Amino acid sequence: MKKCTSCVLPETHETIAFDNKGVCNICTQVSVQKENVDWVQKRKDLDVLISQYKGKHDYDCLIPYSGGKDSTWNVYYLIKVLKLKALVVRFNHGFMRPNLNDNTTRVFRELGADFHDFSPNWKITQKLMLQSFLDKGDFCWHCHSGIFSYPMQVAVKFNIPLIFWGEPSAEYTAYYSYDQPEEVDEKRFNRFINLGISADDMYVRLGGKVDKRDLSPYQYPKLKDLRRINYRSVCLGSYIPWDVKKQSKIIAKELGWKGDRVENVPEEYSYEKIECYMQGVRDWIKYIKRGYTRPSHLTSIDIRNNRLTRKEAVSIVKKYEGKEPPSLEIFLELVGISKEKFYQISLSHTVSPWKFDMNSIEKGEKLKDFDKWSREGKMDKKDAEEQIKKWSSTNKN
Amino acid sequence: MQKNKLKNGHQQIKINMNAAIIDYGMGNLTSVNNAIEYLGFDCEIIDNPDLMSKFDKLILPGVGAFEGCINNLKTKNFVKNLNEEVLTKKKPILGICLGMQVMAKKGFEGGEFEGLGWFDASVVKIRPQDDTIKVPNIGWNKIDYNKENILFQNLKDPVEVYFVHSYHMDCFDQKNIIATSIHGQKITVAVNKENIYGTQFHPEKSQDLGLQILENFLTV
Amino acid sequence: MKRIIPKLLLKNSTFDPNQMVLVNTNKFDNVKEIGEPVSQAKIYQSQVVDELIFLDLDARKFSRPPNFKIIRNASEEIFMPFCVGGGVNSIDDFSLLLNNGADKVSINTAAFLNPKLIKESADIFGSQCVVVSIDYSLDLNGNYFVYIEGGKTKTSKSPLDWALESEKNGAGEILLTSIDRDGTGNGIDIELTKKIVDSVSIPVITSGGCGLSSHFSDAFLKCNVSGVSAGTFFSMRDQNPIQTRSHIKNAGIKIRTKT
Repeated sequence: MKKCTSCVLPETHETIAFDNKGVCNICTQVSVQKENVDWVQKRKDLDVLISQYKGKHDYDCLIPYSGGKDSTWNVYYLIKVLKLKALVVRFNHGFMRPNLNDNTTRVFRELGADFHDFSPNWKITQKLMLQSFLDKGDFCWHCHSGIFSYPMQVAVKFNIPLIFWGEPSAEYTAYYSYDQPEEVDEKRFNRFINLGISADDMYVRLGGKVDKRDLSPYQYPKLKDLRRINYRSVCLGSYIPWDVKKQSKIIAKELGWKGDRVENVPEEYSYEKIECYMQGVRDWIKYIKRGYTRPSHLTSIDIRNNRLTRKEAVSIVKKYEGKEPPSLEIFLELVGISKEKFYQISLSHTVSPWKFDMNSIEKGEKLKDFDKWSREGKMDKKDAEEQIKKWSSTNKN
Repeated sequence: MQKNKLKNGHQQIKINMNAAIIDYGMGNLTSVNNAIEYLGFDCEIIDNPDLMSKFDKLILPGVGAFEGCINNLKTKNFVKNLNEEVLTKKKPILGICLGMQVMAKKGFEGGEFEGLGWFDASVVKIRPQDDTIKVPNIGWNKIDYNKENILFQNLKDPVEVYFVHSYHMDCFDQKNIIATSIHGQKITVAVNKENIYGTQFHPEKSQDLGLQILENFLTV
Repeated sequence: MKRIIPKLLLKNSTFDPNQMVLVNTNKFDNVKEIGEPVSQAKIYQSQVVDELIFLDLDARKFSRPPNFKIIRNASEEIFMPFCVGGGVNSIDDFSLLLNNGADKVSINTAAFLNPKLIKESADIFGSQCVVVSIDYSLDLNGNYFVYIEGGKTKTSKSPLDWALESEKNGAGEILLTSIDRDGTGNGIDIELTKKIVDSVSIPVITSGGCGLSSHFSDAFLKCNVSGVSAGTFFSMRDQNPIQTRSHIKNAGIKIRTKT
């Protein structure tokens, strides 16, 4: 499998292309837009935006929150620095780690804010995890969809039109010129977030076997309802420069936010993806499908920022990648499938030319809080079988 | 009319403006209507020429051939009112595809016919120099456009839009041409003279960029 | 510019007779219900595809024209060209669909049984509105034959002959679908597609068998088709038209780059 000669991303990475020196397009991309942005003007635009909504509703804004470094910075900046009255909304995916829960308590006691935390029906979550794993080789559909849809629903229901997300995505849509802020709307949701499956589509994929209302937390609100409240759903990172390392230090200092180890990821990256105890399985499935995962991704970013040499990156990748996470056994219980079935399903989503070697699976290390990760609510194996049977009968693989 | 608005792709602070889509028997009215409503503006499809005076802006769609278009406009009594609304009252109008072509002095599709005469131009067949290039031109093409023109504000390059046509407007006054494209030869794809606008391509079928162009016209 | 065209197959759902859903098929069989038509059309629009094809698989079975209500709902949300087919029999069916937002209408069985329909509809609506859809399969002797009635009835005509005849009758475009490769991910039938593209002067869209992004590029480079249509490819894999477009662009093919 070909890898970039500059970073360590392989040819199975989405949209990657190599030039005649073998350097990938992500390495050669110049992020002109970020560097040429007039941040002074952006700050003025932010003030104008806020002034249009501040004090006019029960809350000045709504802030979606997960507890990671970016959303914690987001709440910190909007509430403490800009002094907005915010309703913080969290769609709880069900796999919060203990440190994350501690962070959340500590952060909100320190900052002070109304916090709306919603946990969807676990039995539906299980079905959704299995179905999206079968159909797309990615079990996180419920989380992706819920995180971006649910806060929008709250905005409509509680009439809080200004919604601030955190870091902007790299892309700027065609509809806006380069100097316009990114809108976190349904189009973006459909492009990047929901794996190309809406709640209505998922209802069909589940064979209509759930109550349609069970999928409502995952439903993006209708455009006409959002327009009625005159909504603006933007990224704070479109108005202020986003510096992850600096921000992580500030929230650690000001709010006592703590990072955490993630399965099969080196310690130096303990500020990333600390929220979910299924992260290890998620990363593992990516490895099975594409032959690379989080360590490759993180070290490649460091190479591009001159924090690591390629040689060092290769050695980190060799040490940490390609290891089966201990959390896999929990995942298997929660979706009611055998390990064999897990590999069969994952392999069916392999991206050519990578070929996963079933015979050389090493095991990764357990993390300190492993025993605290809930295994309650195991899926009935018969129900899982039924869902899988339907998939097998119509799947060429 | 409220001039300042928050710019958001799908949401608009309601501008007090209404547009009329002219139904003279030729044109994909539904698509244009849907696009305008999606953008958040009021619009109505009208087949009675006398109603045009009640609207702030006019849209003239068109699918088919030149002769049929101008004849329909004549027999449905639109021509006199159009001239009044557009030439005298200077009401903004957007012609789409055939709707743009019919604004020319002459059209040469299947004969020689007189158009509305608003542009000193002739509508002639596209003749690509390269015979591997097929006519009609159906599909997406990149356009070169006048960035200063109000119709093309807030666009990000490359601007690729959807075409379905065999003829194009050959303008004698180059100043009227605000966008061109290449299809075996240079073709005129958008025109503007004062309050009169025309696009050869279908903005209502050109996704985001098309919607932006349509919105630009609606907020002129 | 070359086109990426998702194919949306409509069918009455098994769990709710009042709801039409989107399905994937495998060799025109093995139906899998995968989504809601308007929702998927919106999603494809967000992912900036070039065109859509809607085919109503139940229309012929129930002797009715394609479900125009769904088309009308879709046309309120999507602003790109789309083609509708399935059970189209007459000029009235054409009108119904074009008036409800469709830009092109696809005819298959009806055109085969009555080629005059092609000319009639092209004369009235313009050839750019008329797409002749040709489903084909390879027999044991290695010969290609056209199949009609949703792939159920073998005819004695070859796809090449039928494509040439359709063009002569005024078709604006040909939509080729390989029944053998449908839903298999084994790749487009390059040989037959190339033969047909080289023989007709109207645009050809090929479909059936996309399993990798490179299948799209191959079809464009080796056959010079105008468009590649795919159903299963986008809905059952970790694949997104934006990625596919990127792949095609990197292969040096002229395609819309805006995303």
